[in-house]
Amino acid sequence: MSGRRDRGLVRPYVVTNGRSEPTRNTFDLVTLVTAASGRPNTGLTPEQRRMVELCAHGSLSLAEVAAHLRLPVSVVKVLLGDLVDSGHLLTRAAVPRAQLPESQLLQEVLDGLRARL
Amino acid sequence: MSHIPQAVTWCLAAGLLVALALLVRQWWVARNRSRTLVGLRAAIRARDEEARRLATVQLPALAQAAVAHPAAGDPLLAGSEYERNLEAVIEQFRSAVARAEARADQNAKAALKGAMRALQGLANEQQVAISEMQERHDQPAVLHDLLEIDHANSQFGRRAQAIAVLCGSWPGRQRSASSLSDVVRGAKSRVRDYKRVEVRTQIDLAVVSRAVEPVVLAVAELLDNAARHSQPNTTVEVNLQPAHNGACIVIDDAGVGMDPREAQLAGQLLTGQRSVDVTRLGDPPQFGFAVIGVLAARYGFSVSVDTRSPYGGVRAVLFLPTALLTQLAPEPAAAPRAAAPLPRRGAAPAASPASPAPTATPEPSAPTAPYPPAAGYPPPAAPRTAGGLPKRRRREPLGAEQLAEAALATDPFATTTPATAGPADGTAETPAEWTRDAEATARRLGAFARGTRAGREAEPDTPPTGYGRHAARPDRTGPDRTALSHPALNHPAPGYPPPGRPAPDGPVSDGSSPDVPFAG
Repeated sequence: MSGRRDRGLVRPYVVTNGRSEPTRNTFDLVTLVTAASGRPNTGLTPEQRRMVELCAHGSLSLAEVAAHLRLPVSVVKVLLGDLVDSGHLLTRAAVPRAQLPESQLLQEVLDGLRARL
Repeated sequence: MSHIPQAVTWCLAAGLLVALALLVRQWWVARNRSRTLVGLRAAIRARDEEARRLATVQLPALAQAAVAHPAAGDPLLAGSEYERNLEAVIEQFRSAVARAEARADQNAKAALKGAMRALQGLANEQQVAISEMQERHDQPAVLHDLLEIDHANSQFGRRAQAIAVLCGSWPGRQRSASSLSDVVRGAKSRVRDYKRVEVRTQIDLAVVSRAVEPVVLAVAELLDNAARHSQPNTTVEVNLQPAHNGACIVIDDAGVGMDPREAQLAGQLLTGQRSVDVTRLGDPPQFGFAVIGVLAARYGFSVSVDTRSPYGGVRAVLFLPTALLTQLAPEPAAAPRAAAPLPRRGAAPAASPASPAPTATPEPSAPTAPYPPAAGYPPPAAPRTAGGLPKRRRREPLGAEQLAEAALATDPFATTTPATAGPADGTAETPAEWTRDAEATARRLGAFARGTRAGREAEPDTPPTGYGRHAARPDRTGPDRTALSHPALNHPAPGYPPPGRPAPDGPVSDGSSPDVPFAG
């Protein structure tokens, strides 16, 4: 549970207890993770507890969580699936890329402005 | 004439007497000789017997176990020269055997150590490669295979490491101080049946860095023993207990236990007092306890296996004295320290005048040259225009809200200690290029938004686009997501180019962005 966790001491299969399939298939790198308040941390593994602590102060993307935990993203997905199932964490799909106005519209706006000025 | 036969008779009688005496003496001598002969024969037989015993019993026993039998068994030879010589032979043989054994042991250890070092190195290399693969591949099926390979590799590394330690090598791998639960789980990573190992308790103690690897190795050997000598459907329970002057790692299995003789042997091995002979580990070699004994003696912890576990198996207790324990710094305090190499705002002005590239050379390309990454915020020595005049720049200090947001996004620990994230001291751990990137983005998009707003006034039917739905936090991955609600939006944009990437659109001047058509 140290912030400067020694890489390679606790191997990923121990972290996930040998599992490699997340319980749900909806996570990607930019899935936003937030902690659900009011759940006790008892019974969580150190990594899960740390994930909950990390996300307690706002949203983090899955990639960021993985970087903080220094674990592979796919391993974090397994942990995240468990924590979402147990209600400790909430996820939200990343906000889709905004629809930018088409260049034709921009051109029209530009023309309108030019006409006005 | 009768005298003559008489004389003859006397002579004959005397001769007869002499012959008789001679005969008796002869008989006497012969009898003595035969007695001596018998004694000598017995002595020779005793010596033969003794030599035979030496050749067939004593020397093989010496060669086998270096245990000397009493030299002469026959009382006939007690104290004789022969016995003394025999003893000298035995003594010389014993010392020769001891020398040869020591040399063989040394050679075997050296050879094994070299071989195991090489294997250890390979296992470590492979572990790094596997870790990289785990980072790279995202499919669960691939990850599953990688985890299995990783598990096998860890066990392989542990075996090599254990043998190397037994042969006098160091455990290798320098680690940083790790919490006790991480140490136990690190040990769990290296045994075959790791899923059966349950770490029940967690205490807030850590192992000092130099002892991490040996303790991990010792606990791994104990866990491996426990798992191997118990049914596959039972669990191996690990409890961590603080003690008066140290801490204990208690490992309980529900296995078959040990009989008193095994327990005594194990106790001898675990104290490290009994020297370990790599040539006598048995087949298959059993070096678990021997390795633990070596490590315990070398690093000053102790292991005992002489109590029964409540589940009927063995309870192994590894006691770590206070000298090997430490406290990990609490994480919120540790994070800013760890981030200390990042540039601080206060440090930037001192550092940047020394960097000559963007400031001193009045080349036309100077304003667009990327700042050195060490300069967190724009240095007071401003870039100059092509004409050599100092370039004016406007800049608003970041608001507290912005700083907090930025700190949250980059370092979640910083928000747990809000004092460090305040704007006054300016020590928020914010990678500078990130903030500026967002500001530049916000500046451009703000200009764009103002433009579209102006456009919408002319055409009220234009539906609003998908901005601003979510912007709780600026994100470095999607500039367009941070657009309208970014607090920097309404600030005049500071006019310095984003660092780290060459501005594709030429120098950005104050207040207005030439690449955004709707500025203003």
